[in-house]
Amino acid sequence: MAHVPYQEALPLHEPKSFWTRYVWSQDHKVIAIQYTLTAVAVGLVALVMSWLMRLQIGFPGSFSFIDPSTYYQLVTMHGMIMVIYLLTAIFLGGFGNFLIPLMVGARDMVFPFVNMLSYWAYLLSVLVLMASFFVPGGPTGAGWTLYPPQAILPGTPGSDSGIVLMLVSLILFIVAATMGGLNYVTTVIQARTYGMTMMRLPLSVWGIFMATILALLAFPALFVGGVMMLFDRLLGSSFFMPAVVSMGKMLDYQGGSPVLFQHIFWFFGHPEVYIVALPAFGIVSDIISTHARKNIFGYRIMVWAIVSIGVLSFIVWAHHMYVSGMNPYFGFFFAITTLIIAVPTAIKVYNWVLTLWQGNIHMTVPMLFAVAFVSTFTIGGITGLFLGNVVIDLPLSDTYFVVAHFHMVMGVSPILVVFGGIYHWFPKITGRMLNDTLGQIHFWLTFLGTYAIYFPMHYLGFIGMPRRYYAYEGYQFIPESAQDLNVFITISALMVGAAQFIFLYNLAWSAFKGKPAGSNPWNATTLEWQTPDTPPSHGNWGDRLPIVYRWAYDYSVPGAEKDFIPQNQPPAGENPGGAATT
Amino acid sequence: MEHVEAQQHPIGLYLKVWLLLFVLSTMSYMVDYLEFQSYLRWFLILLFMILKAGLIVAVFMHMSWERLALKCAILLPPLALLIFIGLMTMEADFTFIVRSIFFGQ
Amino acid sequence: MVQNSSEQHRPLTVPEEWRSGVHNRLTEISTDWSSDQDAFKNVPWGKAMMWIFLVSDTFIFTCFLTGYMTVRMSTTEPWPVPSEVFALTIAGHHIPLILIAIMTFILITSSGTMAMAVNFGYRRERHKTALLMLATALFGASFVGMQAFEWTKLIVEEGVRPWGNPMGAAQFGSTFFMITGFHGLHVSIGVIYLSTVAFKVWRGDYQSRGYEIVEIAGLYWHFVDLVWVFIFAFFYLW
Repeated sequence: MAHVPYQEALPLHEPKSFWTRYVWSQDHKVIAIQYTLTAVAVGLVALVMSWLMRLQIGFPGSFSFIDPSTYYQLVTMHGMIMVIYLLTAIFLGGFGNFLIPLMVGARDMVFPFVNMLSYWAYLLSVLVLMASFFVPGGPTGAGWTLYPPQAILPGTPGSDSGIVLMLVSLILFIVAATMGGLNYVTTVIQARTYGMTMMRLPLSVWGIFMATILALLAFPALFVGGVMMLFDRLLGSSFFMPAVVSMGKMLDYQGGSPVLFQHIFWFFGHPEVYIVALPAFGIVSDIISTHARKNIFGYRIMVWAIVSIGVLSFIVWAHHMYVSGMNPYFGFFFAITTLIIAVPTAIKVYNWVLTLWQGNIHMTVPMLFAVAFVSTFTIGGITGLFLGNVVIDLPLSDTYFVVAHFHMVMGVSPILVVFGGIYHWFPKITGRMLNDTLGQIHFWLTFLGTYAIYFPMHYLGFIGMPRRYYAYEGYQFIPESAQDLNVFITISALMVGAAQFIFLYNLAWSAFKGKPAGSNPWNATTLEWQTPDTPPSHGNWGDRLPIVYRWAYDYSVPGAEKDFIPQNQPPAGENPGGAATT
Repeated sequence: MEHVEAQQHPIGLYLKVWLLLFVLSTMSYMVDYLEFQSYLRWFLILLFMILKAGLIVAVFMHMSWERLALKCAILLPPLALLIFIGLMTMEADFTFIVRSIFFGQ
Repeated sequence: MVQNSSEQHRPLTVPEEWRSGVHNRLTEISTDWSSDQDAFKNVPWGKAMMWIFLVSDTFIFTCFLTGYMTVRMSTTEPWPVPSEVFALTIAGHHIPLILIAIMTFILITSSGTMAMAVNFGYRRERHKTALLMLATALFGASFVGMQAFEWTKLIVEEGVRPWGNPMGAAQFGSTFFMITGFHGLHVSIGVIYLSTVAFKVWRGDYQSRGYEIVEIAGLYWHFVDLVWVFIFAFFYLW
């Protein structure tokens, strides 16, 4: 029994009222926009937090409302929001929801109702997180990794209720991500349209698909860690809590292992890096190929690289823990696996560059962001090789080198792709182009500003400036001049942050006043640009699902009329376009 | 629908597996009741556990009638857990040694 | 049964005489994964989704059990002997683990009735299906009841608490309550889920749509039983 024809034959129930169409919507496109707007809103909060942190470091003591506790709360919330509530949500919930059904040629996700629940659970988790700002003691200041014992000990900011709300919010987020993730994976596996084989999927779908699988398998570990820590905090159990003397008082905890939490956390935490990175890989591949008017170099190897990165990401977790006091033999194992995972990642970088090679490159705004991603990701990836080696990691651990590394590789790089993706797909979402001038300004400020922020940070790390310190005065080993760099970084950070408001203004303005885009402004081949309506209507495809005849990258095919052949264009006679497929 | 045809199995098979699960559960209970110890105990516990789990997955959850594509997709990812468990055994051993040394002083 | 359904998807280019057993299987899996529309042939969307969810849930339970393993292996305190902690004195006889054994048998029984329900579902005998599902749910409810009794006995009589117990390592109580609690939560959700589906089956809601829903609910229920097999082995017997 084939289920796709069955789905095609089902009558469409277009929602009629405002509420069912835009609020309690089960349409994947509306849910995608809901996810994206919520993630952007919460991301703005985290952006402002990073400003405050940088202000404290650049001009210590000038802002009386940032005391050490507040500073730690800012650090924690900034990290947690950016990694989980912004990046994970926007890639899986935003891009995943919008692109998967359109790119595989489905009417919607397989279970639209569960998909809707996923968004509402996500919104609830965000609200719980935001609520922690208003409880006594404020949000938790334990650092985004929430390491026990300090995460739940008195003295850490937010150890009263902030940490509890944080963990509850994470558990809700995991429920949301699971409900959404089951939909994305099942849709890719079971609801592709006629002719859409796995090896004809655009790489965006592959990246999001693999990232979702990682999410389904890695978030359970965070869930378990969260539940166990809630037990420790609320019921007084001692999973992670050794016998501790806190503020001169012997606590009741006994016999727990803080390192156990770190293992559980990073068993989630490392795949999480790839949950954010793999969709970015996929989207960048599509943007580069489309705007260079050239097929992606080595499509199959790109797919297998995504798959092998996904598999390997489950056996590298303890490279975050070289200084934790774990079994010393682990360093050997995890350094090797970490260096192995660099191989498929490097293959992807080569292939992006080779796709650009001799392409007909259009330096549009999405393309600028995609190329910028290749640059920042390479820098961040190479510093990752340093940190993956135990001997080099030991002196660099917990310095600003690490901060610079992970911001380059999983902060800035995926965010650049988010921007690139939005500039690329905005015409399909709204039917209007984003303003190009504003986009250029936004890009150059963001891209150059990023390097201005993070390049000096590597040097600060090399001279030993530790991360997570409230102020750096009076440390013999940090030269006075380091403060000059800190001021420079802070000013750059303020400018990059301000540049994002240009982007928001552009979004709002262009949604109503932008130049009408037409159905396929980039002359792209993939299915989402071939919908009968722009923006796509409910059910996406009208009466008949599209039929796919070729892979997603038939650009500049010799002998073809135009420089692109859409996936759903049938081969005409001896048209050689279909030759590259299967 | 074809799916319906594919899922019609003789009830006798279910009854046999059911009975077998009862027998295996009784045997694993007897491991405790007869107070086997050490490696024999652990071996028997694991043996009966795997047999029971295998029967449930293969027959009750219809895994043995599924196509290989589904079997692989479902049964391969948990291998990541085996690596996790293996490394955590080493880690727990190490923690125990460190604690013994520290508390033994 | 595998071969005859593979025929309809795509003609194989491999000559018939080359198709030995292994080669045949490999061809089957690559044909499925490289075909259009769906990779799991003849598998409804709901069933695929339930299977994927169960894999995710496997990771949750395994992480719980791995956490338990780690704390038990690394503790320097003596670990309480489960066989004695969970013993009951019935009619003057001191029987180790007897309640747990009964709970195990009940859960296996419920798995059997569930498997029957699935079978009758596909035979479209909806009243039998609904009754068997209801029986399954009742067995499940009695399992939860016995678990409540076990918890009460442990807390009130043995003095086991999440933060400590008189018999040894403090983590005994916390892992016990956490793991059996999370499993009990699954059983309770399953009871509600099964009852709802049973009610709808009885009412005849699936006469036109088919009875895959029974198999999907069954998958969940068998999984709950499966998890108990592991908890029984690792927590109670080890």
